[in-house]
Amino acid sequence: MLWYKAWLETRWRFLIGLAVLMVFACGAVLDYPAIARLNASVSTIDAPGNLGRLIREAAETQRTYRGFIWFQWYRQNLVQTWTILAVLLGSGGLMGASSGSALFALSMPVSRTRLAGVRGATALTELLALAVIPSLLIPLLSPAVGEHYGLGETAVHSMSLFLGGSLFFSLAFLLSAVCDDFWRPMLITCAIALSQTLVGALAGLPFSEMLRVMSAESYFRAGQIPWVGLGLAVTTGFLMLYAGIAIVERRDF
Amino acid sequence: MPEAIIEATNLRKTYGDVEALRGLSLDVHAGSLCGFLGRNGAGKTTTLKILLGMMRPTSGEARVFGRRVSDSVASIEIRRDAAFVGEDKPLFDYMTVQDVIRFTAAFYPQWRQDLEQYYLATFGIAPAMKVKTLSRGMRTGLALVLALCRNARLLILDEPTSGLDPAMSEQVLQALVRHVASAETTVFFSSHQIAEVEQVADRVVIIDRGRTTITAALDDLRAQYRRIHFVFDDDAPAPVFRAKGVERMHRDGRVLTVLASAGAEGIVEEGRTLRPVSVDVVPVSLKEIFLESSGVEG
Repeated sequence: MLWYKAWLETRWRFLIGLAVLMVFACGAVLDYPAIARLNASVSTIDAPGNLGRLIREAAETQRTYRGFIWFQWYRQNLVQTWTILAVLLGSGGLMGASSGSALFALSMPVSRTRLAGVRGATALTELLALAVIPSLLIPLLSPAVGEHYGLGETAVHSMSLFLGGSLFFSLAFLLSAVCDDFWRPMLITCAIALSQTLVGALAGLPFSEMLRVMSAESYFRAGQIPWVGLGLAVTTGFLMLYAGIAIVERRDF
Repeated sequence: MPEAIIEATNLRKTYGDVEALRGLSLDVHAGSLCGFLGRNGAGKTTTLKILLGMMRPTSGEARVFGRRVSDSVASIEIRRDAAFVGEDKPLFDYMTVQDVIRFTAAFYPQWRQDLEQYYLATFGIAPAMKVKTLSRGMRTGLALVLALCRNARLLILDEPTSGLDPAMSEQVLQALVRHVASAETTVFFSSHQIAEVEQVADRVVIIDRGRTTITAALDDLRAQYRRIHFVFDDDAPAPVFRAKGVERMHRDGRVLTVLASAGAEGIVEEGRTLRPVSVDVVPVSLKEIFLESSGVEG
């Protein structure tokens, strides 16, 4: 029943997120013919500075279907939306401390570790589904635009996103163990995550390395899975989850 | 003397600079319906949360069913045999009544479906209703259903009738009394309503500013506490009584009033040596005892 409770607590965030991502995935594939025509009509991009360089690199990357999907889906739409969903699913949710329902859950004959662990595991399962299911639409829909996208490539990018991005989920989970409200963990983690995935990427800052790991850029460019980055992210994420559960185990309600 | 289901010794709990409990000690015996009285902020909710393992005491020890509440494994076993109803009746608002019953029943193999049907009908709660749509009275009713049907040996209730109208309060109290009588359950409940404690409790624990001031059977309290009025023909003297049991003295013109917690006869005897013109001994209500033990001028 703890799993059922965790599912009820998170289902709307999960289902809405899944629907949004599936729409985005369809849009990414079906937009390709228009973008390809636009790309073909533009011979050179003459913009100065760092922004100009980024635009030129983006246009160059998207000249192939594989490059287009990686850039539009794995590097932008999916990674940004999924990260926000990871933060939403990790925030405030340990036991709803501020809502008072935590007292009801804590009055049951079950350990706090199990309560928090089931909540975390449920959200991680949902995040795995959010990383995999919408991405599966890419190879499925590609024939509709006369293209092909490999299932293996889909699997590598989805798993990189899940393993790397679970770091943000773990951070929100840890902050929720300390804060009684939903908003502070969400806003703090969102600020950190967006600086990594959006602002960092635009500005070309070194801390956007996280984005490279989540989007498996090294795999796209050179066929190399970013094992080191993924390993670090998983280890750090595990430690934050462990710390979050340890805090819940010790704190007063 | 029946076994003590709850024992607390010298419990202390501090939040930063605030001392919520300052050496609180109490015991609650098996089969009793024990009222837990105290002013706002006296430490009642903190005590109940410590007993259920939701908070850890800063120092001191508490045991429920002989198990240490600060041991996290023992605490799970305590909650297997105890039910808690919080002051705000915390439940999962996103669930239906049926869902929250299924959730709770899953942890208690001894779940009483017969009682579940009976109390749902008594409180007029439909299983398909969403918890968040329940009225305050229904919410309290559902919280009681979840507490009573698990066949717990101990019910710990924090202000069970708070916010209820008199009719609903009466219904809740009657349900509790009936349950205790039929299931040999021990009930430890906090309340601000002295009248309802007098109505249903057989023992009381009164605390003030984090310390226990009185732990006694209600009948003993009623039998022992007396207010003694000595009337003199001139201004009342200010004696120092040697007899034990003098809780407070008050002089008002020719009248000396003594509140005695025990040994009223000895105090009267000693007071007669002051040659009063009359002596009057009257019983004291639980409200007066509560106000006295809470340091409130009566």
